[in-house]
Parts: sequence; structure tokens; C-alpha cells
Amino acid sequence: MFDAITKYLSSATTPGEAGSIFWATIYILIITAGISLSVIAMNWLERKILAHMQIRLGPMRVGPHGLLQPFADALKLLIKEDIIPAEADKLVFWSAPVVVTMTAFTTFLVVPFGRTHAVTDMNIGILFMLGVSSLGVLGIIMAGWSSNSHYPLMGSLRSSAQMVSYEIAMGLAIICAVLMTSLQTGTGTLSMIGIVEAQASQHTWFIFKFFPLGFLAFGVFAIAMVAETNRAPFDLPEAESELVAGFHTEYSGFRWSLFFLAEYAAMLAVSSIAVTLWLGGWMRPFPNWLSGSIWNLAFSLFPALTLFVLAGLCLLGTARMPKIPQMKIQTVGLGIFGLLLGFIGLVLIIPGVRERVQDIYWFVVKVAFFMYMYIWYRGTFPRYRFDQLMKVGWKVLLPTGLAVLIATALWGLLPQISSAIVGVLP
Amino acid sequence: MSLKPLLRKLFLVDLIKGLKVTFNYQAPSEAITEQYPLERPVIFERFRGQPRLNSNPDTGESLCIVCNLCALACPEQLIVVKGERNPTTKRKEVVSWTYDLSRCMFCGLCAEACSTDALELTQDYEMALYTREGMVLDQAALERGQEPKRYEK
Amino acid sequence: MGENQPGYREWTMSDSTRTDYLDLDTKDETFLDATELVLNMGPQHPSTHGVLRVILKLDGEKVLGTECVIGYLHRGVEKIGENRTYAMFNPYVDRMDYVASVSNGLGYCEAVEKLLNVEAPPRAQYIRVILTELCRIASHQVWLGTHALDIGALTPLFYCFRDREEILKIFEKYCGARLTTHAFRIGGCIYEAYDGFEQDCQKFCDAFLPKLDEYEELLTTNRIWVRRTKGVGILNPEDCIALGVTGPVLRAAGVKWDLRRAQPYEAYKDFDFEIPTGLNGDTYDRYLVRIEEMRQSVRIIRQAVEGLPQGPIMAKVPKVIKPPVGEIYHSIEAPKGELGYFIVSDGSTQPYRVRVRPPSFVNLQALDKMVRGLLVADVVAVIGTLDIVLGEVDR
Repeated sequence: MFDAITKYLSSATTPGEAGSIFWATIYILIITAGISLSVIAMNWLERKILAHMQIRLGPMRVGPHGLLQPFADALKLLIKEDIIPAEADKLVFWSAPVVVTMTAFTTFLVVPFGRTHAVTDMNIGILFMLGVSSLGVLGIIMAGWSSNSHYPLMGSLRSSAQMVSYEIAMGLAIICAVLMTSLQTGTGTLSMIGIVEAQASQHTWFIFKFFPLGFLAFGVFAIAMVAETNRAPFDLPEAESELVAGFHTEYSGFRWSLFFLAEYAAMLAVSSIAVTLWLGGWMRPFPNWLSGSIWNLAFSLFPALTLFVLAGLCLLGTARMPKIPQMKIQTVGLGIFGLLLGFIGLVLIIPGVRERVQDIYWFVVKVAFFMYMYIWYRGTFPRYRFDQLMKVGWKVLLPTGLAVLIATALWGLLPQISSAIVGVLP
Repeated sequence: MSLKPLLRKLFLVDLIKGLKVTFNYQAPSEAITEQYPLERPVIFERFRGQPRLNSNPDTGESLCIVCNLCALACPEQLIVVKGERNPTTKRKEVVSWTYDLSRCMFCGLCAEACSTDALELTQDYEMALYTREGMVLDQAALERGQEPKRYEK
Repeated sequence: MGENQPGYREWTMSDSTRTDYLDLDTKDETFLDATELVLNMGPQHPSTHGVLRVILKLDGEKVLGTECVIGYLHRGVEKIGENRTYAMFNPYVDRMDYVASVSNGLGYCEAVEKLLNVEAPPRAQYIRVILTELCRIASHQVWLGTHALDIGALTPLFYCFRDREEILKIFEKYCGARLTTHAFRIGGCIYEAYDGFEQDCQKFCDAFLPKLDEYEELLTTNRIWVRRTKGVGILNPEDCIALGVTGPVLRAAGVKWDLRRAQPYEAYKDFDFEIPTGLNGDTYDRYLVRIEEMRQSVRIIRQAVEGLPQGPIMAKVPKVIKPPVGEIYHSIEAPKGELGYFIVSDGSTQPYRVRVRPPSFVNLQALDKMVRGLLVADVVAVIGTLDIVLGEVDR
């Protein structure tokens, strides 16, 4: 048993490639649980960060600093009455949240959290991700249609138009990255792991490649991905002040929470695409400049250090809690939570664990950066109008994406072109 | 379009300016939320809150002389004062005094009309009750003033 | 609901008498002969600023016509006025435009003073000016926050309310209430300025201007904000005057009409201030006009605080107010426009009739004109820019 685990852990392929159904199942379970947990964490973080941007405190009552608020909300949603409108198309109404959630989670099959930390490595990985995540639109249309109500219908129509038009710009940006994998080596790849390895072998993240082309392509993707996930300032389908809640107006309870889960899972999915394509996936920062065993050691200590800092914050919070009887449970709970984080941090110092975890850590940190940006946009920007949104998509992002794509192709072919010219010249 | 606005537009200066503002406000010290039962708001002297009938601190007698001015001044006619003349002291004394808090809009006209400073709107503001019946205050409740409330689970 | 059931009301959208009102004859230029969608926005909708119900006739997202259904917040304030004495009715007017209650009270007190032919003493007038200008800033802050929220910017709301809190604190210190202030009485003010009133006002003015720049940093140049507001809900001056629109909406159309300057009441003739006007009469101009008005209000407050005279604060007014037989119309420049009171006196202690000309109610009439041919999202923006308060619309 133990041998099997260590043997597997020391192998250098993903379970999908190795053909091990057992390990693939384990991975899927871990990823599903991890995504759900990070959605819960995101829920808390979004509320807190947004609240602090808006000079509020956010949740403070359920658990210390509202740490248990998402759990309380989840519980509330689960035991809430499940309302289906009388005039709704029941079958479609039931299946819509399932479709949305399933597609959002399925995309994570090919997301590489590390060289071996992926369920499988498909040779069409990025296409698979795009295709499956586009299916999510279907669920939204189903939800809007089956609700048999005006606001959801308009929300779902907006959503479908928006996602379809932004997918094109997104696709163009992705093609840029795929082109970059092939241009110097001559062997392009669509595999997610392959794309990261191409960045490793070319010693650059694609965001810095062919500067500013890589950056521009990344910019197009970064805007398109916000629109793709229906988040502010492109959150028209669920524009609260216009369409009440958009396509999920008629949903309540658990079904509504599935939409919520799917929205955040989709955000995580597109962020992981961005990280994989442009920010070097699981690679640690500055592998070229700060190379050498000392730097490797230093960077591999980061996960433990982060946890220690978080634990320290928790313990500091424990010390600063108001000393009144009502807050006693919360104070103790926060202290225990801090100690737990510290303990996990200690575990992460163990050399064997350290090496295997740091890939995941850097990947998660990069995704977290995008998540923060999502919240930051939401806290700052007004919302686009529908026609303006389309204008941005078709008249700004699409031409930019096309131009960047052509420029990338030409730049990549520069050696061949120049050698051809040199060959023609006398 | 001249060059400067174009460059500003290309480099998203307008958006970054806004992002900077929200970013800077993230410091926890900027938060202005009041954690209500733990932190009490500052109530200023002139606040018009729960009504109180004052009595003479030395003798304990009510300051109310049953002149009925407050009841006449009240726009909602929620004050009912009944009194009768005490034959020995030749002074009017309160028989019943009711104040219907549920209809009160705290305009302060009654306290302004009061000629002896007997009726006063105090700084107490926690007037929520579970029943409407409890909202009609009699003389004893008005003289007692608001009882300090404790909110516990 | 059947025709015979109680509460049944003939529906107006399909009513033949209303079709020309809704302009259904002009064919819409779409390549699809789409059936029209009737969307009921409100009375419970996040961005109709209370209980306004707007029935929208849509072609896709395009608005073909609107109809406002109001009255969900009707409390019969005018009728209440007929059953109260003049002094008793004073607190009720605060409850019409509840985000600018001081202005409401000022208008009412002045109308009755005019009827009685008395004038508040100078000190009272200055205090009134300071408080109403503070109230104008507070009202505009609520407008800015909710308007930005309607357009999707969540954050300015909280910044605005943080700064409005300072104004409400001044109100609470001055008259004992934050929202429904009941600050003025007929004939002047009953409350003397508290110790530190001037310093509080000065402090607020100093602190507020940088905050105002901050709001502008978030919105004024933001490309999304500009796109959402420029050219949206255009009202030209002729339409404004024809519809009776007043206040910042009128001034944004380029008409320099401000009652504080046009027919100065209180001490406004003593102060030096600009009347900001716009050029295009669109939502962006109205935004700029209101922002500039806040700056001008700060200017007025500074001047008034510096020149605050000494003296009595109450004119000689009988205890029981019994105006002579007659009628009066008096209007002031409330934050939302011309707020007028028409009071008929029959010589008794109670008014025979009180009629309020609320700015929100009149401005709301322009909604249909402004949103024809725009999109659903613009309806929300236009409702926000009209700055209506349903308490005042329904009264």
C-alpha cells in the first residue's frame, strides 16, 4: 500500500498518461474538493476585499472575522426552500445548473497544477478547455429559457451573445500563445503541459516573449476572460441594477448555489488558462536570473513561509480580539485555526513534500493574482452597456487580437524570411 | 485627436486612476463600520429619542402640571393626559398619562410645548419591542425611562 | 385576475386610447418582425429608487415606450396638512423628500412666513442657508452613490455615505435628528447654533473637497462611465421648459435658472456663487452639474459661516398661527429642483388646502421622452440621473 503510493508519487507522468484509473479518480476527487474549497475561500475573500475597498469591514460575526460566513451561507442555501416557478419548463430548469456546474468542473481535467499534478495531459488540452467551457453557455441559456420569465430570458440572451463574441477574441489570443510554442522549436503543441514546458525550454514566460506582442495577446485574453466569465465590468447577464439577477433570477436554494459554484469555478478555470499560457504555469518566478541550488531552496520554502505568515496573522488577530465573554469561542477558534495553519506550514518544510508541493503553490499564487484582479475590477468599474460591450469585443479586441496574431506569426518567421532573402540576394 | 489624450487612452490612465483609489482604501484603518452592540454610537445632546417625564429630584413629585399643552401640540395626538385638581394643595395632579410610542415621529413639538420641562425627549434610542402593546407608555414607564437592554444569544 | 374581482384594473398598455401616447404607429426599423416584450420594472426592482414601477415596452433591448405607475408610497401628505395646524404640519413635510428634509422644511416655513408677512431674522436666515446647503450636498451625495450603483460602480456609494455621515452628524448636533430633521420653525429657527457649529461646518468643507476629487477620479474620466452617460437621455432646453423640468436637469440642458439667483429667498443674495450649466443636456452633463453644485454649496457654506451675524433667531410670531385669509405660492431651489408650496388659508389655524409642487414628480415626467429608443440599461441610468425620491413623487 505505502509502496504503491510512494512508487506512484515518484513517477513522472500524470495518471491519465500512465493509464491508472485509480489515481485519476483520486486526482479528480482532490481537484473537485479543492475547487469547491477554493470557491468557499473566494467567497470569503471577495466579500472581505470588496468590503475593505468600500471602507467597510465585511462579514464579522460568524466566526472570527466572518471566516465561517461562507459555510453558514452554504448551509442556509442547502436548507432553503427549493422553488420552481409554476410555469417553468421543469426538466430544463432542473438540468440547467447541472450542465453549468459540470462543464465548469470538467475543464479542470487538463489544468496542470504541476508537471505531474494533472488528471491527464491531452494533446488537445487547450482546445478541450475552450470547448467544454463554451458549453457552459448552454446551461445559462437553458436556465434563462426555462424560467419562463422576462428578466432571466434577457439575461441569458445577453450572456450567450457576450460569450460567443468574446470567445473569438479569446481564441485569437490563445492561438498567439500556441504559435509561440512552435515558432522556435518548430514543434507546436496544444497540450497544456506542453505549453508550459515550451516556456521552460524557451527560458521565458510567453507574456514577455516578442515584447510587446506577448503582452498584448495576454491583455486581450485578460479582458476577454473577464467578459467570458460574466464578471464586472462585463457582468451584464446578471446586472443587478438592470436585470435583478439575470439568468438565475428564478433560482433559489441549492440550485442557485450551483450557479454560484459554477461561476467561480469558471473564473478559476480561465485564470488557470491565463497562467498556463502566459505566466509560465507552475514555474517559479525568475528561474533564469535567480538560478542555482540556493535560490531553488529559497523559493521552495515559500509555501511554508506563506502559511507561517497567515498563521501569524491569525494569532495576532487572536491577541487583538475584544476581551469579552461573547467573543471567547471565536478567539479560541481563531487561535486553533492559526495553529493549524502553522502546523501545515511545518509539514511543508519536509524536503520530500516541499519539492512536490511548490509547483502547486506557484500555480495557485498566480491564479490568486487573477482572482484579486477580478475583485478589484468589481470594486472599481461601472458596467458596460450591451451595445458597448459588443463594440469592445468586435471593434477593439478582435482587430487587436488579429493584428497581434499576424505580427506574432511574422516575427516568428523572421529567421526563415531573412534567410530566404539572404539566399535570394546575390 | 492630439497625442496626449490618445496615449492616456491607450495606456488606460483613466481606469488605473480609479483602480488606485480603491486600492488605497483597502487599509483596515480606513474602514468606518460601527460594530453596533459592541461599539455604541455617539449620541449628541439634542437628540430626540425616547420620551421621559421628569420629576423633581428632591421631592420625587412629577413636574407635570397637567396643562395639556403637549397633547395639544402633538401632530399625531398620541399623548393623552388626564388630571384632576387636588382639593388640599389646589394643584392639578396626574391621573393618567399615556404616550403612544408606536405613532411617535419624534418631531419634538411636545417637549417644546412643555412649560415646566417635565416632558423631554432623551438620548435613548433602543426602543424596539416585540409587541405593539408595550409601545403605549404610561406615567410610570415614562418616568422610569428606558431600561438598559442587553442583547444576548 | 378576473374582471369582476376587486382590485382589477384595466390594463393600459394595450388600451387603444394609450397607443398614440406610446407612439406605436411609427414602425420600428428592425429586420425581424419581433413581437414586443412588455417588461415590468418595479415596484420591487433594485434600481427604481424605491417603489417606482415602470412598464417598459421593448423590442429586444430597445425601449419603445414607457409608462410610470406611481403611488405605492402615497401617504396623503397634502390631505394631512388640511387636518393639522400650521406648526403641526411642519414635521410632515420632512417626510416627502426624505434625503433632503431640511430643504422641504425650509420651503414650508417660508411659505407660511410669507402668508403671515413676517421675515426670519438675519441670523436665522444664515443658519437656514448653511443647513440647506449642507442638505443639498447630502442629497447630491445620495444621488451620486445610487446613480453610480445603478450604472454598476459599487464603490462610490460607500464613499459618498461616509462623507454624508459628517453632514448628518452636524444635523444631529444641531436639531437632534439625522434624517427627518424638523430643523426650522415658522418664523425662524428654534435651535440656536450649538457650540462649535461653525468649526464643524468649516471642518466639513475642508475635508469634503478632496473627497469630491476622489469621486471624480473614480468616475469623471473613466471611459466606461463616460460611455454609459454621454449622449444618454438627452433633454433639450425647449423640452425641459415644456415639461416643467427644473433643477440640475434643467441647468444641464443649458438654461441658467436657479431660484436662489432668480428670485432670491433667505440670505442668498448676500453670497457669491456660480450657477453651473451644461451644454448637451445628457446624463454626463447632469453629473458634472451636480458635482459642481456641491463645490458651489461648499463655497456658500464657507461664506455663510464666516458672515454669521449675531442676534435673535426667531421672528415675532404668535403662538397660535392664524394667517389672514388668502393664498400663497412660494418655491425654493431644493436639491432636486423647484420645490413649491401652495397654501390656501381660510383664516383658521389650519390650512384650507396645501398643495406641494415636488420637483421629483415633475422631473419624472421627462423619463419617457428621455429613454425612447435607448436600451434597458439606459432606463436605469436615466432614472438615476433624474434623481427622484419616491417619497416626494407619491407624497
